[in-house]
Amino acid sequence: MTQSTESDQSDQIREIGHDEYDPVGTLALIGLYFLILVLLWFFMYFVEFLGNEPTVTGLLLSVVGLA
Amino acid sequence: MRISKGALLVVLAFTVPLIVELRTVLVWVNIDLSVLESAALGLVIVGLVVVWAFLPEREDDRQERDDDQTDGDVPNGN
Amino acid sequence: MAKPTEVRTMSEAGSTYIDAFPAEAKVVRAAFYSSFLALAIGGLFGVVQTLHRTDVYRFMDSADYYTVLTAHGVLLAITFTIFFLVGVFTWAITTSLDRGVEDIRFTWAWYGLMVLGTALVAIPIFAGFTDSIDMSASVLFTFYAPLQAHPLFYLGLVLFVVGTWLAGVDWFRSWLAWKAENPDERIPLPTFMVLTTTLMWYIATLGVAIAILAFLLPWSLGLIDSVNPLLTRTLFWFFGHPVVYFWLMPAYMMWYIMLPKVSGGKLFSDPLARVVFVLFLILSVPTGIHHQYLDPGIAEGFKFIAMTNTMFLLLPSLLTAFTVVASMEHGARQRGGEGYFGWLKALPWRDPVFTGMALAGLMFAAAGFSGMINAGMNINYLVHNTFWVVGHFHLTVGTAVALTFMAVTYWFLPQVTGRALWNRSVALVQVVLWFVGMTFMSNAMHRAGLLGVPRRTAEPQYDGFEFEAAVGSVGELNAQIALGGILLTLSLALFFANVVGTAFNGKSDSLPANGYAETLSGSEDAPLVLDNLKLWTAIAVVLVIFAYTFPILSIVDRGGLFGPDVNPFPVSLDTLPVLGLVLEQYVTTALATAGELTGSIVTEVTP
Repeated sequence: MTQSTESDQSDQIREIGHDEYDPVGTLALIGLYFLILVLLWFFMYFVEFLGNEPTVTGLLLSVVGLA
Repeated sequence: MRISKGALLVVLAFTVPLIVELRTVLVWVNIDLSVLESAALGLVIVGLVVVWAFLPEREDDRQERDDDQTDGDVPNGN
Repeated sequence: MAKPTEVRTMSEAGSTYIDAFPAEAKVVRAAFYSSFLALAIGGLFGVVQTLHRTDVYRFMDSADYYTVLTAHGVLLAITFTIFFLVGVFTWAITTSLDRGVEDIRFTWAWYGLMVLGTALVAIPIFAGFTDSIDMSASVLFTFYAPLQAHPLFYLGLVLFVVGTWLAGVDWFRSWLAWKAENPDERIPLPTFMVLTTTLMWYIATLGVAIAILAFLLPWSLGLIDSVNPLLTRTLFWFFGHPVVYFWLMPAYMMWYIMLPKVSGGKLFSDPLARVVFVLFLILSVPTGIHHQYLDPGIAEGFKFIAMTNTMFLLLPSLLTAFTVVASMEHGARQRGGEGYFGWLKALPWRDPVFTGMALAGLMFAAAGFSGMINAGMNINYLVHNTFWVVGHFHLTVGTAVALTFMAVTYWFLPQVTGRALWNRSVALVQVVLWFVGMTFMSNAMHRAGLLGVPRRTAEPQYDGFEFEAAVGSVGELNAQIALGGILLTLSLALFFANVVGTAFNGKSDSLPANGYAETLSGSEDAPLVLDNLKLWTAIAVVLVIFAYTFPILSIVDRGGLFGPDVNPFPVSLDTLPVLGLVLEQYVTTALATAGELTGSIVTEVTP
């Protein structure tokens, strides 16, 4: 039983050099990621701030936190 | 096969978070699903993905996929 | 320019690592097996915790939960990760410099020291399960004072860290010897990554070394009466944040030098990879205070500086996202991939090494978002000390790092054993199962954290109070966490089946050759200044001085070097009632103080 865990060189059907390579797919994927991040950021605003009662921070809480 | 079996497995794995959180998203548009309904919907989505993956390929795709046989359909040798 | 980069030749063309470096392969293998043992025990404790705190299945006393939690944290976050990465780094140094270690006895010595350290740490932790031995170290992975562990725990940690320091010395020795023979050559990329990571580690571990040697160990031995908890906490996080990069940078290294290769392509840019590692060296350490946003006693301004540094740290991770995806796309297009998204189909999804690393990277992209939430000072207040944080680091160290390590194991095991992988299909199912299990567990942890469910709590169920979920219920979240934990345990079982199966497999002659990815844009395109390690180390030290001098001075100024009189809490079953009394006293005092303060504020405000 011999299993190569490495991608076979035979899978490669063409050689793409430094100058021919145009990573548009990367642009698309990373662009999508940024879009998701922006949407999540908006989502956070609604979930975290509009969905909750005012959060008490400051002197009182930090003193209790000391305990 | 439209995609390789390995890719199908990954696509199915990737649908899990979407299905889990679909319920939360739907609440925003005032559609409340129970856990069972949401699980059933998940099964339907998974079923559709599997059916799509096993559909015969279009002719114009076949040419390039033939070169790529080792990707998905290599016998695993066990 | 489209010139081909140099072909990496090994000592013998087409040979595996164990063929080229038989003696080193044994050390690497020993390090891997040590890390897997820690993974097995730590993973088992993980599922025990998920079942316990979600109240799905409780078979132990809740007081023992914290002993389990300590073992889980230490064994996975320290032992599993670091043993694995010293193996990978030794492989990277020997492979990329194409020379064996300078003295194999020295290499075994630091490995032995790490094993000894781990054993010394493990003894008091595990003794915490029984009353018959008067020893415990249920202080959690962060060992905050006033929680106090048995001296063996601290001593073991010190020996373990010293072991890693000596490992670093070993790698630097190899590089210096190589440099003497090749004075005009650029540092090979894998070696560069090892050296920058090691330098970062040296700076980072100074914090924990001082915390332990100057304060916690003498305190635990009874040589000093008390410590300043805020000081030791700050020193811990001086180390505690960069330690995550000590785990993450080897995973990044695998994404840079292995992922392009298994994708069928080349690394997009060697210079970018170097920039990323330099940025990590510079920025990793002066950020620790972002774990202490809610610590009183540290001025907001210092926290703001830590936040700024943390936000800068997003840069190398985003650079990595770009470079790694571009390298994968290069592989996919060489394999015939087309279109904006169609190329994804041409990736070798059948290969567990590739799929594991790709899914780990995907999870890390999600963790990037929860990390930004954690890093923001104001938003952090909403999730601080909640289950959200646990969800976050199970995506980062628990998936981005752990899943990458497990995936590359499927490539490394044949290299260091000379035996073929037992079963590739099981390996593929294993990595996908980890992704699915972590999806359930981590997502539900994040959401529970948003509801305010606390972390580090055996029974987050309270009388007369219920957490309210906006959508669904807390019960469903608990069910998801338990389900996720079970899937992850199954995944671990498959992983170990493969490790054991491979160890008992026959020797194989048709294994892939040792090596790593070539580059599209090679080191000849990288500015020489990038290889100036002294410069980057100096900048890193200066930034650390900027970020930490004043906070530490003010902490010492306010609380004293050895702190106000603080009673140690060795947490074991018989001391729990005492602990309860002490806590109650503290809370009463604090509430009284709070009441007085509020009173005085009110009197000040009202004319």
